[in-house]
Amino acid sequence: MARLVAMQPRQASPWASSSSPLLPSSLSEFNGAALSISLQKRRRTWQPKGALQVTASSAKKILIMGGTRFIGVFLSRLLVKEGHQVTLFTRGKAPITQQLPGESDQDYDDFKSKILHLKGDRKDFEFVKTSLAAEGFDVIYDINGREAVEVEPILDALPKLEQFIYCSSAGVYLKSDLLPHFETDAVDPKSRHKGKLETESLLDSRGVNWTSIRPVYIYGPLNYNPVEEWFFHRLKAGRPIPVPNSGVQITQLGHVKDLARAFVTVLGNSKASKQVYNISGSKYVTFDGLARACAKAAGFPEPEIVHFNPKEFDFGKKKAFPFRDQHFFASTEKAQRELGWAPEFGLVEGLADSYNLDFGRGTFRKPADFTTDDMILGKSLVLQS
Amino acid sequence: MAAAVTIAAPTLPSLHSSSCSLPPLTHRSLSFVAFTSPTITKLSSHRSPRRFPSAPSTSAFSIKAAAAAADKKRVLVVNANSGGHAVIGFYFAQQLLSSGHEVTVLTVGDESSDKMKKPPFTRFSELVSAGGKTVWGNPAQVGDIVGTAKFDVVLDNNGKDLDTVKPVADWAKSAGVEQFLYISSAGIYKPLDEIPHVEGDLVKDDASHVSVEKYMAGLSFSSWAVFRPQYMIGSGNNKDCEEWFFDRIVRDRPVPIPGSGMQLTNISHVRDLSSMLSLAVENSAAANGKIFNCVSDRAVTFDGLAKLCARAAGRELKIIHYDPKAVGIDAKKAFPFRNMHFYAEPRAAKEILGWTGTTNLPEDLKERFDEYVKIGRDKKPMQFDIDDKILESLKVAVTV
Repeated sequence: MARLVAMQPRQASPWASSSSPLLPSSLSEFNGAALSISLQKRRRTWQPKGALQVTASSAKKILIMGGTRFIGVFLSRLLVKEGHQVTLFTRGKAPITQQLPGESDQDYDDFKSKILHLKGDRKDFEFVKTSLAAEGFDVIYDINGREAVEVEPILDALPKLEQFIYCSSAGVYLKSDLLPHFETDAVDPKSRHKGKLETESLLDSRGVNWTSIRPVYIYGPLNYNPVEEWFFHRLKAGRPIPVPNSGVQITQLGHVKDLARAFVTVLGNSKASKQVYNISGSKYVTFDGLARACAKAAGFPEPEIVHFNPKEFDFGKKKAFPFRDQHFFASTEKAQRELGWAPEFGLVEGLADSYNLDFGRGTFRKPADFTTDDMILGKSLVLQS
Repeated sequence: MAAAVTIAAPTLPSLHSSSCSLPPLTHRSLSFVAFTSPTITKLSSHRSPRRFPSAPSTSAFSIKAAAAAADKKRVLVVNANSGGHAVIGFYFAQQLLSSGHEVTVLTVGDESSDKMKKPPFTRFSELVSAGGKTVWGNPAQVGDIVGTAKFDVVLDNNGKDLDTVKPVADWAKSAGVEQFLYISSAGIYKPLDEIPHVEGDLVKDDASHVSVEKYMAGLSFSSWAVFRPQYMIGSGNNKDCEEWFFDRIVRDRPVPIPGSGMQLTNISHVRDLSSMLSLAVENSAAANGKIFNCVSDRAVTFDGLAKLCARAAGRELKIIHYDPKAVGIDAKKAFPFRNMHFYAEPRAAKEILGWTGTTNLPEDLKERFDEYVKIGRDKKPMQFDIDDKILESLKVAVTV
């Protein structure tokens, strides 16, 4: 059964102590069927004022660029369950399908039997153009595109494309002292993510029916970016958590399953045409607070946190901390108001989901590397002695 | 202290205000007409792209078409005579009056008190010119003060605890007031690792405002609502906010900021608070039983606010960060905001009332600075004893 948490009703007992979110003692699982059903239930029961009805999508021929690593793994399952014909475009380096932890054999076999694969390198633009033109797709989900040039052959191949749904990034926003970021905020043409911006511009200039999703930090089982994994390694090793500077920097995590649901919500939704949406968790969290939340989610005692001044170290190419050292969070109000989407995972619940399905089972993407930690701790030990 | 009440006319109780005699009914109707405006698109919906500060005029309120006679409300505002919240009642009264409602403001204490020599009280004549009534007294005797005057809506913008608000709430209930609104505080939220404070989040068990909120809820008003504000700026403010930064910036003094300067807070223009309250009055059914974070929808860091103030003043800025404990001073006395993340978002107001904010700090602070200079505060001689103590301990030289 999907470990989905029902939205807390607002205003019910506003002064009562809320119980801490139940941490699943049994292993939670992601089951596409249950997720899809409750997704439909949500559509039926929650009609935000003024929002257009989400049109029930007839079965589409969908191509996902990528789809075998993280977001796409969850998104593809939702789409297949909804009855769409889903193809994954990958080089085939990773297995096309893998059974998710907690996924029943039946569900996995069903998914495996339906998902299609188009093998190729998306940087081979000629191949992209000819293969996509030959197939003809109704909808593109571009989950792994970084540069605008990568998108051109797709658009060239599919003049009748109904919708291009792009995974952009909240990293495009210009750093500001006024937060949260709204979709109307200034973007930074010099940012590391400028390729995403250029892609959004290209889509708009080509007159395509596009939708762009800007996630903040994504987390959840199978995360290949060491976000929660970074904390879990240290917690498991009983090590202190090194946090740069004050630890009051505020960041924001969004669960991959909530993100996948958002991607499905915009499919065939005329309201989403040529719109950008920030998609992430409902609340933001400090660096120190995130360390504590990871511990709570995974059942570890409250961690020791060591603050360090990054300027005092030369870490070389290694990252001493997984987040950008600044406030970074975005409002998801637009998506909630216009699409009727809302994040279902609270932070601790979401981290527990990730832990129970991934790290807690002994799986992780990057092995522990405490080199930078030891540099920091070594120095702080010296200062204390 | 009993308020002086003069019952003038036998039929209509008149609320005597020594500042100016009550305009006769016909005159008020004329003022009513004068304030009637064609339906102007709610200012707040002009959400200009936030990319550049292109704000609507800061003096513009959410002006709606004049209330039809049937929708006209008789509103009583019980207002504190000092403090960070005092200005809310003034803007709210102005906005209601411009929308054609009847407003009486009961300010705590005596009209002759020294406290009335500070804004917004110095501008209360504007309320009277607009057709409002201003009276003074002890809210515990509100029934005596207003006599048989009837009210549809009461806003308590005064009491922090049940002892102070209970008499007002009880009277309102017995007098048949339909809607009771209370200005509480976002300060009652329990500080947590996750931000922002959202309506429904845990509050501190011992916060005095909480007992008021609970009590109100139990009185079965046709409509009741609680508003939890943070800090605000705006002409007529009773308590310093941005002025604290301007004072230092115009005198080329360093701005001492405790901690990292990354602490987030919410600084709203009071017109946003006022517009939220007005929406609650106009949508009393939707607002019933709700808690609203009465704030703008953006946070700013301490450092960020200092930068915006300097930009508004067109001056250089030097920020000094310090550890209050190390220096041995009480941060509460040294700095105008609580030394921690303190950030609530107005999610309920947006969702339930369709409220939108218009606070635009870069633009609003420019206006605030203009007024700061106009009243000559930039030239006023000032002492900065606590600042000096901080700078001394950090061995920072101040060239004056």
